[in-house]
Amino acid sequence: MKYTFRGGTHLNEHKDTAPLATVRLPDPAVVSLPLSQHIGAPAVPVVSVGDYVKVGQVIGSVEAGLGCPVHASVSGTVKEITTVHNANRQPIQHIVIENDGKHEWHENVKPFGKPLSETSFEEIVEIVRNAGISGLGGATFPTYAKLQSAKGKAVTAIVNCAECEPYITANHRLLLERGETVISGLEVVMHALGITDGIIAIEDNKPDAIKLMRKAVKDKPNIRVCEMKTKYPQGDERQIIYAILGREVPAGKLPADVGCLIVNAETASAISRAFYRGLPLVSRIVTVTGDCVKSPANVRAPLGASYSELIDFCGGCVKPPKKIVCGGPMMGQAQWDIHAPVAKGTSAILVFSEEYEKINSYHSDCIHCGNCVAHCPMHLMPNYLTQYAQAREYEEAEKLNVMSCVECGTCSYNCPAGVQIVQYIRVAKGALRMKKK
Amino acid sequence: MDVKQSIAANAPELLTVSPSPHARRKVTTASVMKDVLIALLPATVWGIYIFGVRAALVVLLCVASSVLFELLTQLVLRRPVTVSDCSAAVTGLLLGLNLSPAVPLYVPVVGAAFAIIVVKQLFGGIGKNVMNPALAARVFLMMAWTGGMTVFPAAYDRVPLGADAVASATPLIALKGGELPEASLAEMFFGQIGGCIGEISALMILIGGIYLLVRRVITWHIPVTFLATVAVLTFLFPQGDIPRLTFMLYSLCGGGVLLGAFFMATDYVTSPVTSGGRLVFGIGCGVLVVFLRYFSGYNEGVSFAILIMNALVWYFDMWFRPRVYGKKRREKKA
Repeated sequence: MKYTFRGGTHLNEHKDTAPLATVRLPDPAVVSLPLSQHIGAPAVPVVSVGDYVKVGQVIGSVEAGLGCPVHASVSGTVKEITTVHNANRQPIQHIVIENDGKHEWHENVKPFGKPLSETSFEEIVEIVRNAGISGLGGATFPTYAKLQSAKGKAVTAIVNCAECEPYITANHRLLLERGETVISGLEVVMHALGITDGIIAIEDNKPDAIKLMRKAVKDKPNIRVCEMKTKYPQGDERQIIYAILGREVPAGKLPADVGCLIVNAETASAISRAFYRGLPLVSRIVTVTGDCVKSPANVRAPLGASYSELIDFCGGCVKPPKKIVCGGPMMGQAQWDIHAPVAKGTSAILVFSEEYEKINSYHSDCIHCGNCVAHCPMHLMPNYLTQYAQAREYEEAEKLNVMSCVECGTCSYNCPAGVQIVQYIRVAKGALRMKKK
Repeated sequence: MDVKQSIAANAPELLTVSPSPHARRKVTTASVMKDVLIALLPATVWGIYIFGVRAALVVLLCVASSVLFELLTQLVLRRPVTVSDCSAAVTGLLLGLNLSPAVPLYVPVVGAAFAIIVVKQLFGGIGKNVMNPALAARVFLMMAWTGGMTVFPAAYDRVPLGADAVASATPLIALKGGELPEASLAEMFFGQIGGCIGEISALMILIGGIYLLVRRVITWHIPVTFLATVAVLTFLFPQGDIPRLTFMLYSLCGGGVLLGAFFMATDYVTSPVTSGGRLVFGIGCGVLVVFLRYFSGYNEGVSFAILIMNALVWYFDMWFRPRVYGKKRREKKA
């Protein structure tokens, strides 16, 4: 049986990079590491200009509150510590390191000595935190905090390998090439939280990965592979929980409140690498594609490498780019800077031409067709929410549960009138949050 | 690597930034409207074949004046001109198919003006109108020129351009009196009867309706519940001495029920967006059609039935809204 949820829509997948093995980005000459690559407080620099740093050395740390440390992704000299505006035009501190190409690992990078069975929950949380792991699916919520909040509540751990966004194939390649790290990462999480039910959830557009993982967990009675129907937004944790376990996460609650812990495939792999090899998070797989890119690829890039470097590594552009998106086309963010650095949340870099962009140019008034209502995975009425947002009657929108919106973009995608439904909903949600404060 | 292909050399000075999503389905308002026009083509062609060039002229006048009035109103009101989305053409065509081929030739023009200017643009343009413009215009014309609107020539009675038509009894008049119409059921189904240009052939309307369903322009909810309700009620309460089944089939094929169920009641703007709302909307239309046919002074009630239901759309949407994920159906009022 294939698991699925109510609502959503099947998108044109464009997963052309799926058969392409991950390639390593040649050493960038410099990397620019943002100190805020996660949700929570930005890290504070602990190195100064001129210092020599090694790969895996902590260069930014968060002492109190929610946050993850940032590690050097190359060895070399700290050239400058500067403030750069991110895609949202917020100023973020960056540490720029000049690469000496030696790849010298820092002394602290060593496997955690004890076997998994003798490791305590607190120790695993510490390892995950020190490795700087945050949700690599794109939300970048610090993983150690997720583990802490799930302690005592979660009875099921799910690895999210849905990868429901079009174009992105980073998780797919990871499962095929290093699937065993995903499983061992899941085992670390299960051990930490005392969970006996582990699930690897994959969409059915990755049959090779499903087969491989089924084979890999054959003699692991605690772990099963669940095949889900390919439908957007299957990768949303609320929809995975509903699809596989038939439970709904109550509005305003977390997956842990219904006994679930969900981690992205690459996050699980990072946990495994941190535990068994002591490796902090210094690189990730990025799918570089889009109609402009000459030879699309899955690239393992050190954090801090610039987008332009990755795009040029993929052969550059065959036509002038018009829009560069970080992440998938449904929820990814349009970038204004081609030199923005790869961060922990960068799952894909999509480069689109003017031709592609034309599909976003059609606009008319809402014609009340109901497509957004039929496809909303949260079963909202986006057309009315938009109307209320346009009229600035945010309280009315709140009565129709605007706060439950997960901003997946299914409504805007299906809108024949080209209304920016999600954006209106974001405005309403923002206004309501401001009012609560 | 070729230097010219490098992103830095290729990138424009300013990249486009816009909110997500950056992907979109190819269906647009214009493509939906064109689909509706295509779906109406069989019924239109058949009407012209049965009633001749006069019918073509009536339809053409409706479409052309609708588009023209939309353009003029938008220019006068300084709104963006949106005639290219074809919605005015759809309104015009629907109005034309709702008229007798024998109407005086100023009637289509006045009807189009009422539909576009009063019902559509004065309420705010596409998407804002409360009532179906074509149906509202038809009812307006019925009130204004009851005589001219109710003269229906017989099938193959090709009305000359300048002459008056000879009125013939339509099947609905007979049914209302509890008598079996002269036309056979087959003639009703294929459309060899007198009536409005686009309403006569059940077959041609069904072809168009199925096209809309296959293209997913409309969902099954409204047409199925609408027609099923009419079928059940006319089967349960036949008029006169006509056998139940015969009366039911005549009632479904006669008048504007089919055109209404597939093309009028499913108009996006004036129908509910939720599946539940659509089901109730369809049932309501069906009940009202039978009620008006039996008890009102008119022979036909489809236009009034749909217009009345149009007024209730907002309530249906709110009453039958889907249960939001992670919420109980009835939340305590804060």
